[in-house]
Amino acid sequence: MSQELTHWLDDLLEEIEGIKVRRKSGRRVRADVPADTLPALLELLQGRAGYIHLSAISCVDWIEEDEFELVYHVWSYESHSLVSAHIRIAREPGVYLSVYDLYQPAGFFERDIHEMYGIHFEGSPNMEKFILTEWDGPPPMRKEFDSEAYVNEHLSWQEYNPPWLQELIAEGGGVIIPPEEQRFSRKKD
Amino acid sequence: MRPENYEAQRHPPSNEFELNFGPNHPGIEGNYALKVKLHGDVVVEAKADGGYLHRGFEKLMEQRLWIQNIALVPRICVPDPSPMEVCYAMAVEELCGLDVPQRAQWLRVMQLELSRIAAHLFTFGGHAATTGMYSTMYWGVADRDLILDLFEEFTGGRVYSIYNIPGGVRRELPDGFLRRISETLDYIESRLPDYDNLFFKNQVFVKRAKGTGVMSQEQALAWGVTGPNLRATGLAFDVRRDDPYLVYDQLDFEIPTEAHGDAWSRTLVRRLELVESIRILRQVVAALPDIRGPIRAPIPNPLAWNVPVGEVYTRVESSKGELCYFVVSDGGPKPYRVHVRGPSSMHAVQVLEKMSVGSRIEDIAQTMFSLDACPPEVDR
Repeated sequence: MSQELTHWLDDLLEEIEGIKVRRKSGRRVRADVPADTLPALLELLQGRAGYIHLSAISCVDWIEEDEFELVYHVWSYESHSLVSAHIRIAREPGVYLSVYDLYQPAGFFERDIHEMYGIHFEGSPNMEKFILTEWDGPPPMRKEFDSEAYVNEHLSWQEYNPPWLQELIAEGGGVIIPPEEQRFSRKKD
Repeated sequence: MRPENYEAQRHPPSNEFELNFGPNHPGIEGNYALKVKLHGDVVVEAKADGGYLHRGFEKLMEQRLWIQNIALVPRICVPDPSPMEVCYAMAVEELCGLDVPQRAQWLRVMQLELSRIAAHLFTFGGHAATTGMYSTMYWGVADRDLILDLFEEFTGGRVYSIYNIPGGVRRELPDGFLRRISETLDYIESRLPDYDNLFFKNQVFVKRAKGTGVMSQEQALAWGVTGPNLRATGLAFDVRRDDPYLVYDQLDFEIPTEAHGDAWSRTLVRRLELVESIRILRQVVAALPDIRGPIRAPIPNPLAWNVPVGEVYTRVESSKGELCYFVVSDGGPKPYRVHVRGPSSMHAVQVLEKMSVGSRIEDIAQTMFSLDACPPEVDR
């Protein structure tokens, strides 16, 4: 990416209030913005700087700070550079605006984040379940969800002990794992 | 017994019926479903239904050491697993500031391009089968096997090679391997005219594929389409050239494009990419003997490895499109968050839903295979 374009992008981003821009490498720019100015930033990047490709929306659960971080990665086919716009929203109630009217791929990512983190995106076209259709537990990608504890609590580890194996063990063969070495506890009755 | 205010509702006959296309259907790639509403033979509405291959990779990766995840990531996309491990390894290297030795970078390019050829041959096979031409499928799978033989020899694994580690690659090449890779490339190249006669020039395929599943370049850009599907609409964009990683900026290759954006164009772009991949591999084979040195950078004890705080977004061009990893570290021995952005998360859901509408029922399978959608990438 040429130096001129870099300055041009910096000048453009200065128009946004409260923005912090950090250049990570020649083609990667990190921008931290307040949550309410993100749509304005994306509109500016898309309309005036050619960042027309929304590569992904990533969500990070910062449970200790009681916040979700949403990262919008937009790519420009003209300047061949990627801007990652970071925002923080409160973990409760976990509501944010949809950017579907700017970027259609957002529809998939917002639906995915809604399913995995429970964030509701206002104005998103489809918030139905997609991957976890038969799941009614808490959003599983949240940090407080401990998958191993959930499994130990809700599923029983089936003991596979058919007659042929019992015969084998009686003859001194087979593999016997003593209870204290078994990794998973069995479901408590 | 009816309530007093009951009034029978009469809808006009809609002549529409619903059809569950998948999750176990030869016309669907992997386990995936489309709920299709049909009017006669024409699709009026399609809804993608995923989740049959969800294994919770992103959660699992948060619970495993940085080094353990290398064995996990290739399983996200079965037909083209190598870009997954390279992309993840690149992310960890960037977080740690590791410099990957030159030789390792060339070996990674070799692995990626071999994987691309294998994935494209597999896709042609599946695509041909949707139009009833099973011979191409058998040929494609058989020729892919030759590449899997190469993988087995130099990485130890046929499908999931687990060849990369953060900092480089695991093994040096076996003796005489470059000669064997050249022989395989010569053989695959000699097979291409046969493939042309059997499949690409076959009127059964051409007539079915031309004009099927058309998208314009504007639509493709708006829908977030990447990779060969985007190049089939006439935009010459390739992450390998335009956001270069490894040593792709030192290699000479073309970016094939087609104009029409239909199933035929998309397949043709992949056919032309095979030639370019063979060309890249020949350059790698010619260059490798002169690139000496270590194959991995020294890394700390991988079982007690605290990766510095930070976040990184790495991209590679997989055989299906733009593959990205967003990795966040909180300075601990395990990743704090890994987000996998597979190209098919666009192609198999929103794009497929939109492109199926208006097409005939027999073209759905062809549309899906021509998009090269990989459901495990969507489900993760």
